Amino acid sequence: MHISEGVLSAPVLVTGAAITAAGCGIGLKKLDYDRVPQVAILTSAFFVASLIHIPIGPSSVHLVLNGLMGLLLGWPAFPAILIALFLQALLFQFGGITTLGVNTFNMAFPAIICFYLFAYGVKGKNNLISMGAAFACGFFGILVGSLMVAISLVFTGDPFIGIAKVVVIAHLPVMIIEGLITLFSAGFLRKLKPELLEVVHAKR
Amino acid sequence: MPKDSPLRKKRLSRTTWPSVIFVILVIFAAASDTLAHRVVLFAYVEGNMVFTESYFSDGKKCQNSRIEVFDSSGNKLLEGQTDKNGEFSFKPPKKTDLRIVLTASMGHKDEYIIPAGDLPDGAEGKAWQSDAHGAGEKVFRARKGEEKGAPAGQLTRLEMEQIRTVVEETLDEKLKPIMRLLVKRQNEGISFIGVMGGIGFIFGIMGIILYFRSRKGR
Repeated sequence: MHISEGVLSAPVLVTGAAITAAGCGIGLKKLDYDRVPQVAILTSAFFVASLIHIPIGPSSVHLVLNGLMGLLLGWPAFPAILIALFLQALLFQFGGITTLGVNTFNMAFPAIICFYLFAYGVKGKNNLISMGAAFACGFFGILVGSLMVAISLVFTGDPFIGIAKVVVIAHLPVMIIEGLITLFSAGFLRKLKPELLEVVHAKR
Repeated sequence: MPKDSPLRKKRLSRTTWPSVIFVILVIFAAASDTLAHRVVLFAYVEGNMVFTESYFSDGKKCQNSRIEVFDSSGNKLLEGQTDKNGEFSFKPPKKTDLRIVLTASMGHKDEYIIPAGDLPDGAEGKAWQSDAHGAGEKVFRARKGEEKGAPAGQLTRLEMEQIRTVVEETLDEKLKPIMRLLVKRQNEGISFIGVMGGIGFIFGIMGIILYFRSRKGR
């Protein structure tokens, strides 16, 4: 899911960087500073998640955890993902510094979508709905992320449907696995610390 | 409430510990296999051919990926596709710095530069047009045939040339695995230190934020 340096054209890079800057601004504004340690832990989870490869399917894919990030963090997922991707680019040469903006947007935007779509369902009283919403959250995080990558790559000249097919199919196993991870994490937190799932990250 | 503080402490540790353990497990899982998510392109010269290998850094080969070769001024010399084993080989059309660019699926890209000096001499010569490995020897034989009856001094020079070719070929052969290992080492972006360092950075940033918050709150 990391787009390398030198693949995208300047307008795409600048647009991505601008949107990411705006997203991080909102994220930092909405960040409840009592939650900073929680954000840090999730950032490190995201940071190491991409080292876990999933040996299924035709391409080389790895965990992303952006659905889980969105579910637990909301808007602060933006700066969290930015930091994690920056360190991945710096230490592992995943992606690149110039593509940081686009890559962050591609991963964080689905996280925010998941937050708005599923956070309410996950924290709800009904167990079955909660489990379903958590699975969908992990699943959609990757699905939307794949589509975002495909959209970014359209501007390199390849047709959208072609790339989208490749990216989405390659990530199908990841979608299912992340769905399960999010399901179990959310179930675990619901039992042990339900207030983490409450939408309390916005400043009151 | 006096009861509040120990309760709070307990609650915190209950949720923090699973997360911390998860992170630690992941670190060890990741560190045990050196995994990385990027493509690596590696090229080397052997005889008069340039061989390229490409793989995702988890070891999976990049199949059917596009390889383009540019000269020093950015003109495209040739392009092709990697085979099942992620390999592609070509005959450099001229002696120049070669910039080999690999474009794999989903926006992955890497490049490798072979300086002109690494390419065999006489790029424009006969040796260059001959396909087979060990072409130098053939050319030498041809030349020798042409120059039958030449003075002894010239023959010695040709013999030297032959020896040099053979030595170079043998060296190429022997050094290839070592070169490969070196490049692989160089390209392995991931290390335990990197993972720990990254996590350290994140918690360092957290510390700085909390520090400034606590000063503000006072």
